Order: sequence, then structure tokens, then C-alpha cells
Amino acid sequence: MSDLIKMADRFDNIIKKHELAKYTYSLSESEKQEFNIEHGDFKLLRTVYSNNASIKVFLGARMGSANGTDVTDEGLEALIADATAAAESSPEDPAHDFAPDQGKHERTQGAVEPDLDRFIERIEEFLDTVAKEYPRVRILNLGASHDKWTWLSRNTNGTEFLETAGSYSFSIEISAAEGDATTGFDYTGIIAKDLDTPFIERGDIRRSIESIDASIYPETLEGEFMGSLVITPACTEDFVQMLIGNYASSGVVIDGTSLWLDKVGEQVSSDKLTVSLKNEDDRIVLSDLATGDGFLAENATIIEKGVLKQHFLGLYAANKTGRPVVKNNGGNYVLEPGDTPLDDLIAGIEKGLLLGRFSGGSPGTNGDFSGVAKNSFLIENGKIKCAVAETMVNGNLGDMFKNIRGISKELVCNGSSVMPYIAVDGINISGK
Amino acid sequence: MFQDMLEKKRELFADGVQTVLRGHGNRNRRVVILKGNIVQNTRSESRGISARVNNKGTFGFASVAETTPEAAEKVLRAATRNASLLAEHARRSIELPPSLGVGSMPPHGVINDTAQKEIIEACQTVDNYVSTKYPDLTTRTIVYTEDSQDRTLVTSDAFNGHMITPRCYIYVFIGSVTDSGVPVELFKAFGGYGSFADNFSDVTKYYPEIDELHKRLMDKKEGVYAQSGTKTVVLGGFMAGMLAHEAVGHTVEADLVRGGSVAGKNLNKQVASELVNMVDFAHTYDGKPAPLPVYLDDEGTRACDEVLIKDGILVGYMHDRESAQHFGMKASGNARGWGFADEPLIRMRNTCILPGKNTLDEMISSIDDGYYLISSGNGQADLTGEFMFGVTCGYEIKNGKLGKGLLDTTVSGVAFDMLKTVDMVSDTLEWSSSGFCGKKQMMAVSMGGPSMRCKITIGGR
Repeated sequence: MSDLIKMADRFDNIIKKHELAKYTYSLSESEKQEFNIEHGDFKLLRTVYSNNASIKVFLGARMGSANGTDVTDEGLEALIADATAAAESSPEDPAHDFAPDQGKHERTQGAVEPDLDRFIERIEEFLDTVAKEYPRVRILNLGASHDKWTWLSRNTNGTEFLETAGSYSFSIEISAAEGDATTGFDYTGIIAKDLDTPFIERGDIRRSIESIDASIYPETLEGEFMGSLVITPACTEDFVQMLIGNYASSGVVIDGTSLWLDKVGEQVSSDKLTVSLKNEDDRIVLSDLATGDGFLAENATIIEKGVLKQHFLGLYAANKTGRPVVKNNGGNYVLEPGDTPLDDLIAGIEKGLLLGRFSGGSPGTNGDFSGVAKNSFLIENGKIKCAVAETMVNGNLGDMFKNIRGISKELVCNGSSVMPYIAVDGINISGK
Repeated sequence: MFQDMLEKKRELFADGVQTVLRGHGNRNRRVVILKGNIVQNTRSESRGISARVNNKGTFGFASVAETTPEAAEKVLRAATRNASLLAEHARRSIELPPSLGVGSMPPHGVINDTAQKEIIEACQTVDNYVSTKYPDLTTRTIVYTEDSQDRTLVTSDAFNGHMITPRCYIYVFIGSVTDSGVPVELFKAFGGYGSFADNFSDVTKYYPEIDELHKRLMDKKEGVYAQSGTKTVVLGGFMAGMLAHEAVGHTVEADLVRGGSVAGKNLNKQVASELVNMVDFAHTYDGKPAPLPVYLDDEGTRACDEVLIKDGILVGYMHDRESAQHFGMKASGNARGWGFADEPLIRMRNTCILPGKNTLDEMISSIDDGYYLISSGNGQADLTGEFMFGVTCGYEIKNGKLGKGLLDTTVSGVAFDMLKTVDMVSDTLEWSSSGFCGKKQMMAVSMGGPSMRCKITIGGR
């Protein structure tokens, strides 16, 4: 940590020579230890030592930025020169700015030092468990890493942030096979600050393995029908991110194409839906100390009981459009649970899918989406019937979140998000 | 000389293992103009040294974001230690792959820097052209993006070399709204291999293509939804290239074959119409440099072409040295890492379906009721070859002629089923090199294809 402060002091001295009136910069040092398991066996151990320096230079209302890994005096000089040149060539735009003085803040969080022996034991335990309990499941890739980093930011408004943090992450890519019959792939992962719990019991990992194991002999649906979806937590997160990106993010608000441009304070979805970006929450392993704009990070609620509380805007977009800034970097999505057990959600579906993964692109601005239902199962008369193949789902994001029929009591916490199952109506489902 | 410094560290290579020491830099430039506002204006450089050690099939890798002799020593020590530590836990032990030849590759590629001011002015020129000529657009975004790799390799039992791969693009995104209020958008990327001056010293040369993009957007604005079902279509070259990469290419990457991809049980079998030929080109196509040439991969294997499908028969996979040994095939230089901290993985290079003998006009005029599908914004595929592509630009074909434009739709299918329906292949090839492929790490890849007449499932609305 002291090395980074020395580096910052060195950077300050270099910047002084350039007589810059307004700037903000950040420096970081990081170390990664990553185990890669391929086809069920240890393949590679990767160690990454890295540095990064980034700076935004403001010349009046003109802004330029640069970043790089060279933190020698020469490298930092080059960084200042690059950012200054970018600012000099940029047109004036007073919307570019950073936060007013937030004071000085320093903290440490997570598992800063790894217990690599215990980490390897947990990985081997996972491999053994899968081999014993799910012999048809193949672990195509397993990535398990410990990351630690120190990060420091200073700016000319007087703010200083200094943070040291560390965490474990664990992700798998899996398929299943029996004889010549094979599934497609699925993936899931978690981050954690301890190794107290077997990996298979964390997040959505056991459910994903059970799901792929049950997908070896899928059936192809005939024709198309209007049905319902019960969407798994990981897939729900994907749709929520698309929803906020499509209707409430900086880009679509700046260019005016958001269909929720003038909907703040209005009902935009089912009143069952509350979407927050949580920063401080016991279920979120690592919180952000600060935002990229230089604010102390806070929790933010975007949709509360179906009402749009605010757009998810960074400082530039807020200044550009005269709307409030959200002091949150995004990413840690938390949905409030419902009051219906998952089994009851499924039992209430006449015909539809348990949607494990949506394989499709981002919807257009109007919210229309279309993609393949992967790792998914047919639901008929309240019961799960079979895995499905070559099945498309089509709908509209905005309409889908208006047509929520229920949200599960069960929540899945993967360390960076908290998601329930959601059931929605009015989705076009088509087979061959 | 940096390469000389790395060469001196060869004395630290351990015996009985295979070692690659790599100096690696990435440079990025990015400008984004959203409706006339510069919302991104940044330059970045990352540079470091990595070492990879193969100890009987377990690999140690280490990297440092520095380019000093001390950094080279540090990564060699760490990679060697990592390989030994992992060997204690691995359940396998294999023979090291044989050497595929040693030597020095001649350097390839040059990189020239351009002032940010010049980049911004070029973007503003394009933005001014679009906003002035087409004032009724509801959205317009101009994005300049430049990335380059600069790699220096010193290996224990393969080729050494210094390779530079620059590329840069200007993306033009434009949008409008239909009479019923549905937003419609299109984009196109201009540029390719080389530095700014190679591609954008005169941006006016792209104006005709921007005009064509606008025409297609206006057709889309008046467009209709495709009827869902299995249809006869002409899949444009861009779409064929995406199919080659996403739905076939990934399934024939040897690590995914070992993971159970559909290609495993189909080697030497008919997987496509005999009109279909597919190759992953290393650096040269038709006597000219391929869009993103690769001469040497990050294991030090000299790159050569890999034929994947010949006359409809699946004949090859893409390999690194270890997988080539596993399958008893040859490695063609597909092991690549994107940044200095990235270990090499099996990646595609310039993957394309080869042209045939038909003309596009012949193909369109042969269809009474179908679609001409031109461009896509996204695509995904599975180990099974099941794919889904979004279609952002297309037209109806009615009685052998192009009809109305199409609103956004999707196509889907299973690659080795769908490719068997190909019955006409155009004599032209369309490359696309601006994208990244995501497979743990990002990687610059190019893909290409001819127009193909085939049957495909279209999603409708």
C-alpha cells in the first residue's frame, strides 16, 4: 500500500511540472493467482502482476484521458502528454467533470491474502464431487483465481481514495454426455471472500450442474405458441441488465431514444419488480469505494415497485441532460424477492419454459428480443416435462417486465448479484 | 534491442520443459462522438513480459507489466515454479509435444502513431457529413477504435520473432424511427489492417458506402417483419462469415472438440453440401495479405493455413501444440494470446467459407419467395453447432427480385444441418475484420464468406 502512495506522490511531482489546473487520476497494483482446469484436470497456473495508471486532464471545458501500464517516470510523463494532447484536440464540452471534494477515505475489504492450499483442496473437492455425483457431466473449463489489488485515486478537488481488496472467484463451463448424446454448454460462477463453503453449494452452481445433466436428451417442439417463462436467476440478471441498458442508461438518455425518457415517477413495470444497484449489502462480496466519476459510492434504486425512480446516469450524462447523477458504478444488481415458492411458480404455468439461458443479442431500442432458449425445459400443466432444443423465444423487454406473474421467494446470491426466479407471461415460443 | 535482451534470458530456461518468453504490447485509441458530443477521447498502452513453461502437460504462466531484464527473470522464475507446483496436483503426465522447427521469423508489420487531434478531426468530418446530408436521423454515433499487438517471442524449441499487427476502424451508427414509432438502426465499420494513415487519410472515400448504409436504413424504416419458419434465403457474405466463425469455427477448435463439440464425431464425414469449403487462413488469401495476418503464434509455431471443410467433408481442427499431439494432427499456428497477461489459447485467425461460381444476381433471381439477409449485429452458437444470429439488415425476395426491407429478426439452426442445404455459392467473398472473439480473453479475428443460397429458420417478429 505504501508503494502506491509513493507512486502517487511521484506522479503528483511530475504533474506539478506541467501546471495542470484540473485533473483526476488513479493508480493500481494487482496480483492474480489463477488455476485453470481443463477437461477435469489441472492444466495451468497463471500468475499476473500488473500496474495501471490512468488520468483525465481538463483544459477549461475540454477533456482528454489516457491510461497505461508503464508507471516509470517516463511512462507517467507519456501518459500526461497523451491525455493533454487528447484534451487540446477536443471541443469544449462543460458536461465533462468529476465529483466535488469527497474527502479522504481509506479501507481494506475482502480476502486480501490467499490461502492457496485450502483453495486447491476446495477445487479438488469440487472435481471429486462432480465426478462422483454427476458422472455424465463434463467440466470443460474451470477457472479459479484469487485477486488482490490496491487502488488509489486523487483529484484536484481534494478527494483521495485508497483501497486494498481481495477475493476468490470460481467459474465453470460444463456440458454433459452419455454415449454419443451430448448437450450444449452452460456456465456459471461466483466470487467469495472466504473458502468456508464447498464451491458446489455456492451461488447457482449445483442447480446448473443438475440442469445440464438433465439436458442430454432434449426434445424439439413443433410449431409456436404464446406462453410463459420461469426465468432462472442468472438469466434474470441478463434480462435486467438489458432492461436498464435499453431504457434507462446514459447512452439512450443522451441521444433521446429511451422509451422511458420522460417516465421518471411513473409505473414502467409490474409493481412486483424492485431493481436496485447495491453497494453496501452483506450479500455482495466486494463493494465499490467510489464511482468512476469520483463520488463516494452509494446504493441506488432504479425501479421501486414498478415505478421508475431515476435513470442510471453517470456524471457526464447527468450534466448533459440536466438529470440527477447516480453514485454507483452498476453491476451489483439486487432484485427484491417475491412471496411465491419456485415450485408454486412452476405449478401455476399452463404452458411455457423454464428458461436457463438466453442465447441472443441485445434487443433494439424498442426492446424487441429474439433468441434461442438454451438449457431450458418445457413446462406443461404445472410440471417440468423435458429439456428442449432448437427453441426460440421472442418478446419485448418492456412488455415482459410489465407481465410478471410472480417472483420467487428463493434468491440466488453469487457474490456480485442477488436474483430470484421470475415468471412472466406473453412470450412467443417456437420450435421447428 | 528488446529482442536481444529477451534472447539473453534464454540461459534461464529450465531443462526438460518447453519455455516461451514473450514481450507483448497493446495500444488502443478510442474516440466516440454521440450526436456531435465527444463522449470518449482516450489513448491507452499496456506492455509487459510473460513466460510460459510446459512441464509434461501442466503449464506455468506468469506475467509482469514491465519490460525490464528483471521482469523477464521474474516471470521465468514464477512460471517455472507454477508449472512444478501444478504438476503435484495434476492427474496426468504427457510427453512434451515434438518441436515443429526452430529458427527466426523475419519481422512483420509496422505501427505508426497518429495525433489524437487528427483522429478527432477525421471523426468529426464523418459526423458532419452524416448530420448535414441526413438531418432527419434520430441518432448518429461515430466511433474510432484502434488496437494493435506488438509481440516478441523467444522460445526453447520453436521459432522466435517480432510481429506487429495494427488495425483501426471508424464505425458509423445511424438510426431512425418508423411511422409507427419503432426505432430502427444500422451500422457499418470502415477500415481494416494498418494504422490510421493507411485507412483514414481521406475519409471521403467512405461516403458512397455511408450513403448506401443510409439507403438501407430508409428501406428498413419502411420495412416489414419477416414471416417465421424455414425459408429459402440468400445469406450475404457477412452472415456467411459469421456462420463460419461462430457456428462452425468454434466447434472445430481442438480444445472444444475435446470438450465434446459436434465436430468430434464428424471428422471425415459429410457435414455440408459439397459446394462448401472452409479454411482458417494464416496470413495470405488469394495471393494477398489476409485481413489480419498471423505469421507466428504465441507458442512459436510458424503459421500456415488450416483446411477445415473440403467439398463438404470435415477434414481438420485448429490446434495448439498439445492438442495437435493429442489428436495426431499438425499445429498450424492458432495458439494466441491477446494481451501480455494472457496465456495462448486456440483461436481462429482469418476464417472463411470459400467462394463458388454463382453470381449474387443469379441467386436472387432463382428465389420466388424468400429473403436476402445482409448483416448481423450479433451471433452465438453452441458446442452442438446450434446457432442464433440477429439479422439487422435484409430484404424480401419476391419473384426473383428484391422487395421490401426487413425489420430486425433472427435466424437459427444447427450448422451441420443447415450447411447441407447450401445449393448455390457466390463468386465473391466479403471479409469482416473489425470484431473481437470472446473466449476467456478477447482476440482480434477476421471472418469471411460468399453469399450462399440455403434454407434456414427465420424468427419473424
